[in-house]
Amino acid sequence: MSLIPEALADPTEVGVLAILAGLSGMGPRRLRLLLAHLDPIDAFHALADPSGLPSDLADFYSLDLRRSWAVAVRSCNLQQVATNCAELGLRAAAFGSALYPRLLLADPVPPAVIFWRGELRCLAERRVGIVGTRNPTRSGVATAGTLAQELAEAGIAVVSGLARGIDGAAHRGALSARGPVIAVVGNGPDKAYPASHRDLWQQVCDQGLLITEWPPGVPPDSYRFPMRNRILAALSEVVVVVESRERGGSLSTVREASLRGIPVMAVPGSLHTRASAGTNQLLCEGAPPVTCTEDVLVALGLHSQRRSDLAQDPRPAVGQMEAAILERCRIRPQTLDDLCRGLAITVSTAALAVARLERDGWVAETGGWFEVLGAWAGTLGAEAGEGTEHDIADAECPEHDGPEAIPYGT
Amino acid sequence: MFATVASASILGAAGHRVTVEVHIGNGLPGFTMVGLPDETCREARDRVRAAILSTGLCWPDRRITVNLAPSRHRKTGTGLDLAIAIGVLSANGNITADAIADLGCVGELGLDGSVRPVPGIAPMVGVLGDLDAVVPARSVHEALRAAGGRVRPVAHLAELVSVLTGEAPWPDHQVEAPDAVVDLVADLADVHGQPVARRALEIAAAGSHHMLLVGPPGSGKTMLARRLPGLLPRLERDAAMEVTMIHSAAGVRLPPLGFVDLPPFRAPHHSSSNVALVGGGSHLLRPGEISLAHRGVLFLDELGEFAPSVLDALRQPLEEGVIHVARAHVHADLPARFQLVAATNPCPCGGGPPGSCQCDETSRQRYLRRLSGPLMDRFDLRVAVHPPDVEEILTTQTSEPSSAVAARVLQARQFAASRSGGTNAELDGAALDLHAPLSDAARSLLRFELVCNRLTGRGLHRIRRVARTIADLDAQLGRDPVQMIEEAHVAEALRMRAQIHARLPEIA
Repeated sequence: MSLIPEALADPTEVGVLAILAGLSGMGPRRLRLLLAHLDPIDAFHALADPSGLPSDLADFYSLDLRRSWAVAVRSCNLQQVATNCAELGLRAAAFGSALYPRLLLADPVPPAVIFWRGELRCLAERRVGIVGTRNPTRSGVATAGTLAQELAEAGIAVVSGLARGIDGAAHRGALSARGPVIAVVGNGPDKAYPASHRDLWQQVCDQGLLITEWPPGVPPDSYRFPMRNRILAALSEVVVVVESRERGGSLSTVREASLRGIPVMAVPGSLHTRASAGTNQLLCEGAPPVTCTEDVLVALGLHSQRRSDLAQDPRPAVGQMEAAILERCRIRPQTLDDLCRGLAITVSTAALAVARLERDGWVAETGGWFEVLGAWAGTLGAEAGEGTEHDIADAECPEHDGPEAIPYGT
Repeated sequence: MFATVASASILGAAGHRVTVEVHIGNGLPGFTMVGLPDETCREARDRVRAAILSTGLCWPDRRITVNLAPSRHRKTGTGLDLAIAIGVLSANGNITADAIADLGCVGELGLDGSVRPVPGIAPMVGVLGDLDAVVPARSVHEALRAAGGRVRPVAHLAELVSVLTGEAPWPDHQVEAPDAVVDLVADLADVHGQPVARRALEIAAAGSHHMLLVGPPGSGKTMLARRLPGLLPRLERDAAMEVTMIHSAAGVRLPPLGFVDLPPFRAPHHSSSNVALVGGGSHLLRPGEISLAHRGVLFLDELGEFAPSVLDALRQPLEEGVIHVARAHVHADLPARFQLVAATNPCPCGGGPPGSCQCDETSRQRYLRRLSGPLMDRFDLRVAVHPPDVEEILTTQTSEPSSAVAARVLQARQFAASRSGGTNAELDGAALDLHAPLSDAARSLLRFELVCNRLTGRGLHRIRRVARTIADLDAQLGRDPVQMIEEAHVAEALRMRAQIHARLPEIA
């Protein structure tokens, strides 16, 4: 893809595509049909008049639709839109044009137009999709982060959706290793959603690729996320589900992936955690498990052996009391009350033991519940900054939290 | 033709001496009251006339002028009725001026002449000085605590008149000794399981730390908070007097002995207005809930549901222990040194084990925003409360009673007092360095938390304060009060700062 000179992405054409894709009632199918017959700029001028379309094409669109498009096209300021897109560093390609990603050309439902910020070259790398719930457990977040980081270190591009939870953790992990990172989002490329991911969004634009089929200004409506998932799946060579509930947006990505013959892998989780109900179900249905990064590398054909040094846990050994606590936490997350009751110890003893376990990266606390961290994720969880103390006072104030009724990634 | 009677009225939580002057002169029959009476006070005219007639005495059909001196302060309430009636009778010649020279009268009159209690008897009797206080018979206990001179309970205007005319001695109203004082404070023995929450209550009581209980509905947050006053030491005489004055002024039902010596517990509903909470009103300046919780516990259930302006109004009294309420013409300083206990859900759905939250982000953010801000900084203790285990609810074994815990609390408080002269909640940064030295292990644990960005500078002070209290609770009698804070104390303090929401920080 990098063989195409950048100059081909003409700012006026980008502006025209942004306007066309933003017309109300102009879905991917209608737009694809239009652009199959007309050059984007010709299509733009043709739409300015309700009867401007060639007669054979006009039959596909109702008169009402053409009238409303004519009003919209005439009232918009092409120059302004083109300037805004250029300032954003936004580029666009219509289906079938030279810059249009080849990966999507053969898709069953290809997007009519693709908008992107950052380096389209990222698509030339090996690509692994990492998806999961927006409401993960601590160990899920750590797993996604470690997996993405290690894949990025191996030079593999991590594809995800920039949502909260697993998606965000995967992007952060990949960015921390300065690896190629690809984000497929469900709203316009101009405004970060969720607002709390504004920095992450910008980092992805600077260091990787942010891709969407929607023009600037499009809000994150709930129906756009399942559509986004099909692009996410199509751009991945393997999709790894880290944590997912029994129903959720990550499973819609899984469906899209299976539709396209893209292998789906899942990270096994506890039977007692709702956040891994979906992934465990995938394993039952035959998805290969991911227990370490090498599993994914093997699936990509990059590695033939699993790592064997896991037997050596890098964390300091634990005392007797700590071991008893770990054992209970392994079964299911425990509260301090549970530990005091189950082991018949005082609050003080329990508090001291979990403080030591937390310091050494064996357990992590969320909302008063203690979870065990696996050896794989544990080393990372202990080092990473978190910021619980800030959470209350510096609660994020999202400027825009659009409806997301079909919870993507939950 | 002229008489003066001493009485009192109430402003804020304090009594003010009022002299009732009555003049009866020639002119068209009438009754004028001057000296800024409010509406309830002005209605005294009709009550007093009816009461005097019911007593069988004559109402002077001449020009009656009543002045409430000092005239520039507004007088509120019905407590001046009795003084006005005696003043009218004295000016009319029914009672001699000598007979009432050493009396101060407080009480409301019924149309039948009965003398009824009014709010604020204690502070009003307090300002009468060494005058003999004539009070409604039912308020005698309240008056006895505050009086400088003798207390003369009367039940009916006729009784008082016959005493003052020398026809009868002072009536001997049986000051019925109330039954054995029943402590209505709930006992900690009813709380089964929940060792962490129990321990947190003990720490809160020992160090006077403000406490936030975070837990799903049904986890017993309210039940736990109600048991905090039972762990606090009884009020000392001065403190009890302050509290009695405030409760009396606000017209709150007092204990049978008229003396509040248990730390009060106030739990205003979250729909409470700003004025209801901090005090005020047009010119009465009635003490609000925060003043009623003075020297006790103010419990705000569902903290996030309170109006933000109400919560912001709490910050200044939390800092200063007093609230200055001012209106255009009046102002009052109401004491408000309370221990704040609040309860909230971790998120709108109530939370649960990791990964089980049902809330969408928008509603969670909206919920959080209400709790954000400087108020959260006041809570030294933020305790995650989890519902007790089924087996624990069904157990027949009783838990440790409040009295046993209160004994440890008292000892820890004495420790703290012998060290810094106050409670641990009052320790600031410099005082912590002096009174709360950390052992090496404790220091390294705190360093880890700071390096992980899980603790801020302010959070560190909170942890040290709480750890100091935990160390005090663990200390044996006779030990050095400034003994070292150990790793276990800090570890326990670290567990007492729950997050409000179960959202995960996203780490990579």
